[in-house]
Amino acid sequence: MIKITNESFDLETELKNVSSDTNGAYSFFLGTVRSDLSSSNKKIKGIYLECYEELALVQLKKIRGKALNNWKLNQCLIIHRIGKLDLGEKIVLVITASSHRADAIEACEFVIDNLKIDVAFWKFHLFDNDEKEIVLQKNFDNEKMLKWKDIIN
Amino acid sequence: MNITLKYFSWIRVKLKKSHDLIEFNQTISFKELKNNLISKDAIYQEIFEDKSVKFFLNLKEIDDENQILNNGDILAFLPPVTGG
Repeated sequence: MIKITNESFDLETELKNVSSDTNGAYSFFLGTVRSDLSSSNKKIKGIYLECYEELALVQLKKIRGKALNNWKLNQCLIIHRIGKLDLGEKIVLVITASSHRADAIEACEFVIDNLKIDVAFWKFHLFDNDEKEIVLQKNFDNEKMLKWKDIIN
Repeated sequence: MNITLKYFSWIRVKLKKSHDLIEFNQTISFKELKNNLISKDAIYQEIFEDKSVKFFLNLKEIDDENQILNNGDILAFLPPVTGG
């Protein structure tokens, strides 16, 4: 299941959506909006998430497909929010479910690492005076992808 | 022939618009479109010189500048992504 939405989501509900008696392990990644300083050293009050939805759906399906092909997963759920989000709000949820923990944990990490550098979402920091600042891609996220190079290519 | 251009992130901010609909009398390549846009507005020079910007034609990344554009195509300008 893949969803791009401007609505919040409930963890327990989403867990039920992937629950099955065949699952013995679930791994979750939940990304939230943190209180942070911008590159210009200003305190942010939230974020705005822009998306090219048609492309992002294609890219998410591709990542999910690779996760399902490379690990023994029973389920893989990805939800990503768009629009204006306040501090503490949920941004992204990945749930992978499998018979044993190793597949679920590693596949979950693969999905979020890929999503961060290869899906058409863009973050902006929001400030008190309605000012916006573009968030730049981090080198760390690109370097982390090296771990998955055999699966991506 | 009509081509829709879609702009995202800093490109959208810099151009102050999210999309354009442009018309041509005949079929053109991506390279010809690029040169056409640069001749109209210097901002496009900066966009096309930025190696981190990717271009997607009908949801597929362009890997050949000589690729031909067709009527109704959608060309998207994508800076590095920052989701998650």
